[in-house]
Amino acid sequence: MSAARTLSMRDALYEAPGPKTRHRVRIGTAVSAVVVLLAIAAVIRQFWVTGQLAPRYWSLFLQWTTWRFLGQGLLGTVAVALTAGAIALVLGLTLMLGRTSGVRPLAALCRVVTDFFRGVPSLLLIYFFFFVPAQLGLKMPSFWMLALPVALAASGVLAEVFRAGVNAVPKGQVEAALSIGLSRAQTMRRVVLPQAVRYVIPSLIAQLVVVVKDTTVAYVVSFPDLMQNARVLITSYDALVSMYLVIAVIYILINYAINKASVYVAHRTGVKIIR
Amino acid sequence: MGISELLGTYGNKYLQGLLATWSMTAVSFVFVMALAVLVTVARVSPYRPLRVAGDLYVQVFRNIPGVALLIIIAYALPDLGLVLDWRTCVIATTILLGSAFGSENFMSGINTIGVGQIEAARSIGLSFTQIIRRIVVPQALRTTVLPMTNLLIAVMLTTALGSQVPLSPQELTGVVSYVNTRATGGILAFLISALCYVGTAFVISLVGNRIDKRVRILR
Amino acid sequence: MTDLSVAEKDAGTAPVIELRHVDKHFGDLHVLRDVCLSVGRGEVVVVIGPSGSGKSTMCRTINRLETIDSGEILIEGQPLPQEGRELTRMRAELGMVFQQFNLFAHMSILDNVTLGPREVLGQSKEEAEKYAMELLERVGVAEQAHKVPAQLSGGQQQRAAIARSLAMRPKAMLFDEPTSALDPEMINEVLDVMVELARGGMTMIVVTHEMGFARRVADRVVFMADGQIVEEGSPDDFFDHPRSQRARDFLDSIGGH
Repeated sequence: MSAARTLSMRDALYEAPGPKTRHRVRIGTAVSAVVVLLAIAAVIRQFWVTGQLAPRYWSLFLQWTTWRFLGQGLLGTVAVALTAGAIALVLGLTLMLGRTSGVRPLAALCRVVTDFFRGVPSLLLIYFFFFVPAQLGLKMPSFWMLALPVALAASGVLAEVFRAGVNAVPKGQVEAALSIGLSRAQTMRRVVLPQAVRYVIPSLIAQLVVVVKDTTVAYVVSFPDLMQNARVLITSYDALVSMYLVIAVIYILINYAINKASVYVAHRTGVKIIR
Repeated sequence: MGISELLGTYGNKYLQGLLATWSMTAVSFVFVMALAVLVTVARVSPYRPLRVAGDLYVQVFRNIPGVALLIIIAYALPDLGLVLDWRTCVIATTILLGSAFGSENFMSGINTIGVGQIEAARSIGLSFTQIIRRIVVPQALRTTVLPMTNLLIAVMLTTALGSQVPLSPQELTGVVSYVNTRATGGILAFLISALCYVGTAFVISLVGNRIDKRVRILR
Repeated sequence: MTDLSVAEKDAGTAPVIELRHVDKHFGDLHVLRDVCLSVGRGEVVVVIGPSGSGKSTMCRTINRLETIDSGEILIEGQPLPQEGRELTRMRAELGMVFQQFNLFAHMSILDNVTLGPREVLGQSKEEAEKYAMELLERVGVAEQAHKVPAQLSGGQQQRAAIARSLAMRPKAMLFDEPTSALDPEMINEVLDVMVELARGGMTMIVVTHEMGFARRVADRVVFMADGQIVEEGSPDDFFDHPRSQRARDFLDSIGGH
């Protein structure tokens, strides 16, 4: 059409209002604004009534040492998340390659492993690495007690993401590659994978959110991440509510930024995000 | 510890754990769906404050780590004058997280409908409510069967957060940590719980796929 | 008050569709400039023009899928309502056929056709289905009645969409580039249905690029460019003796004469 205006679906549900509708929308907007503000006010009031707005709960955030300690925790979170993410990337790709290899037993095995890691809570895997190596007499650093299970949990999902990417590569590409004499493996490596990876980059970035979330149970294995350091500060400052809220906001902002980055990359490369 | 010894001593615990996981999942999912509908209605309403509040709700609960939310509900809310029992804390956490993703599923279900069908419905004289009832809702529901199936599995996995508070009876993950603090359960102790999860997820996705095949909209 | 009584008196003789000095902007873009058009009962008006000329937009303003900035749109002498019951009732009386068919994806063809009569006109299921099958028979997709839209070819979908509009027993039909999204071999099956409708005395506004159709069926051809009606006249006059340079350029560019 001539005038290309992009309407989001939620706007498209409504047509351009007439005078009566416009009046009704205006009233509804005012009423809902009041309701939302009242809800916010009620929350703030509850903080006030219970004394949670007292300076002693918030003054620690004015101290440099608080932020330095939280910053150290954040570095721990980032290190674990990136390590787990990198391992999951390799594992996920391997699982996908195995599953699509065409070698029956290998494909079946990879499928079972993929479904297993997708169907099990990451917490269960974390407890596994917390208890079992120790029971077998292995001493494992807490970093790996966290990074490995988080990586395993993510690898199942990533295998599926990669598979979706491979499926998104047009069949004609494979046929063309085979027709010029490339082997199956060569076709996968030289033609399919490079395109598939391009398709899934935004989804891979988005999966980092899941990894970051999974690392927050670091306290189970006593690894000093953001959450664990926050717990330490809570015991020394006795500022539980304020600290947990601040930590939650930090996590939300980090994950929001990761999601935004994923959408941005998808937009830039014109790729749809596969979930 | 062998399987017979493990099941002999803790079999009952595992069974209770499985039932606890199932029941928390079921209860949570009912509320997840209800809340997801409400949030979605707010997000597509013509009232800007509701839209903003709905969008914010989704961004917050999509991005907050489950443990962080559980800890806030279980340990921070009492300081703010709201005390919930442990089970309710876990379920509330699961509902808040799940409903944000549920609303996202509904939104993308609505997005697949396309402006054209809405205009066509308008052009034959359907009113706004008729369009919502006969065109938007049926299509949004039918296209979200698979995403919602995956969400149900995710909700089940989220109930493992129950292992972080003193639940009674414990759910599947809590049982494993209980067993291992008392005995050398080894890989087997984990495998029992893991298989319960994987088996349940398998059944859920089997049923979900079957429903999806029946109601899927050809495009 | 006086307006209303005049309007009521005019209902029999007034044009079915009338646009008076209609203006519309999309942001900075002036998409309709002082458009005046009057379509009498049983008249077939074909609107042609280069893409971006505003012809689709004009077509869509008539049942208020697009709003206008100023001017008036009258249906049988009554101003086009802006909202509510009055608007939906008016829309029910104007059929519209879209470029992309826009059939409801989750319903069978039959349900697509009966939805309006049942929801808007309050017909019973039997009544609505009986007439729907007649219409589907007429447009030649009766055998597909129980399939869903995605199982039909584009041409079949568009014919079903026409049946969906006809089921409302409209006073007039608006066609917004009904064949532009079709494969060439399917265009004629849709045009044939439209020719049939025109012969049956339906009042029609057709936005199209099908010059053959315009020449054969139109009572009047309206040529638009840059949001304006540049000229209008009988098809023979227009195609053989275009008066404006714009029209001559347009006809040359599409190689039609």
